[in-house]
Amino acid sequence: MKNGFSEEHRKYLARGKRKLALVWVLRIGILALLLGIWEAVTELGWVDPFLTSSPSRICKTIASLYLDGSLFYHIGVTLLETIVGFVIAVVLGCIVALALWWSDTLKRVLEPYIVVLNALPKIALGPLIIIWFGTGSEAIVFMTVLVGIIVATLHMLTAFMETDNNKVLLLRSMGASKLQILKKLVIPSSLPAFISMLKVNVGMAWIGSIMGEYIVSRAGLGYLIVYGGQVFKLDLVMSATCILCVLAAGMYFLVVLLEKLIVKDAKS
Amino acid sequence: MKNEILRFEDVTLTYHTRRGETTAADGLTFSVREGEFVAIIGPSGCGKTTLLSLAAGLLVPSSGKVTRHGSCGYMLQKDELFPWRTIEKNIFLPLEIKRQNTPERREKALGLAGKYGLADFLQSYPPQLSGGMRQRAALIRTLATEPDILLLDEPFSALDYQTRLNVCEDVSSIILGEKKTAILITHDISEAISLADRIIVLTKRPARVAFEHELDFGLEKRPIKRREQRQFSRWFEVLWKELNA
Repeated sequence: MKNGFSEEHRKYLARGKRKLALVWVLRIGILALLLGIWEAVTELGWVDPFLTSSPSRICKTIASLYLDGSLFYHIGVTLLETIVGFVIAVVLGCIVALALWWSDTLKRVLEPYIVVLNALPKIALGPLIIIWFGTGSEAIVFMTVLVGIIVATLHMLTAFMETDNNKVLLLRSMGASKLQILKKLVIPSSLPAFISMLKVNVGMAWIGSIMGEYIVSRAGLGYLIVYGGQVFKLDLVMSATCILCVLAAGMYFLVVLLEKLIVKDAKS
Repeated sequence: MKNEILRFEDVTLTYHTRRGETTAADGLTFSVREGEFVAIIGPSGCGKTTLLSLAAGLLVPSSGKVTRHGSCGYMLQKDELFPWRTIEKNIFLPLEIKRQNTPERREKALGLAGKYGLADFLQSYPPQLSGGMRQRAALIRTLATEPDILLLDEPFSALDYQTRLNVCEDVSSIILGEKKTAILITHDISEAISLADRIIVLTKRPARVAFEHELDFGLEKRPIKRREQRQFSRWFEVLWKELNA
């Protein structure tokens, strides 16, 4: 018996560690393999790098963007639009969901509008958005909010409505007011749904901001992709796409981090 | 004769939904005296829970009158402890709701928790406790606001048999110890006999009082001991026949 564990338990722990290591080796291995094949087939001239770009050309493109100072400018523009749009969509979505939970009449009145807005492809509103908001970041933030707000509202409303009826009955038997039921029960029990809504909405926010930049923009990663496509600079398209991947993943992990903080908070 | 603490007078309740209306209770008349333990049994779906909601004032009768002297605490089938609150915070919940969250009240509630074996679990979260312990915590939560009447809605039915007998024993001794009036709703005949001073049998929906029995166990209040006595099986037979009449 070393460190308080039995031989068998230590073996079990070791197996777990080995498995985790294997998973990581395979994850990184797959990425390295894909990049290697990509680089090799373009290097050997089997496919035209003009059409597919290649890892080395992507690195060069990113480096040159960095050197002329535009890399962080474009990243900054898109990131700001995405985050501002994300926050507004989440906050407004939660407020609307609360209002709909509070008033059954309001919920029933607005239901068809929400269903239609949810089904409507937001990109159809592109021309309107340009006319109303011009060609600046406001238009893109608006598009991001539009894409995210319905998802946030529906997600949170579902969570609020799924509050355990027996727990509501319990609170009512204590003489709780509707506001007390909201504060003591509905909001805390919807916290896990709030986190999962944030995760979904990270994706929605990127869809909104990039779509917005496709329709109207003079800067940002979406702009680089559209511009690169128009002038057939596939290196630029691929570079911007790669940066997007990294940013989207980063934002997702921030939400995961927030989840851990909140869950820990609830247990402390 | 002690004072009446709760009285149903010719109470009728009709539920309205868009599909139609259902009469859940029809001309229900009975009363409960202070300090009494009354069990109410009836065929399933006869509106037993409706009856507790009426007693708690959560529903207003369509006609007739419910008179209650004093406050009441409701205990449900499942413990319904909030998993994001510690046991202590769960016990304080009714105090927060009733805006009685004063140091004296908290002190009293903690005293109860300590007296009935929850002292070591106050900082634990509900999922860390066994089903029996959780139901005990739920009872202490119900008692925290010092209600005059306890309304128990099948509080043991979600537990396994072994735990059930134990929790039944606990709840009985806590209620006796605190000298509370209690109304127990159950479909379990033997539970009713082992706990109650008086049993009211309801008819099928719409609920009406079919029979009423004063049990003759004398001073024997402990559920386990009652189960050993000769009257127990006799009462079981009587009630079983009445329920299936």
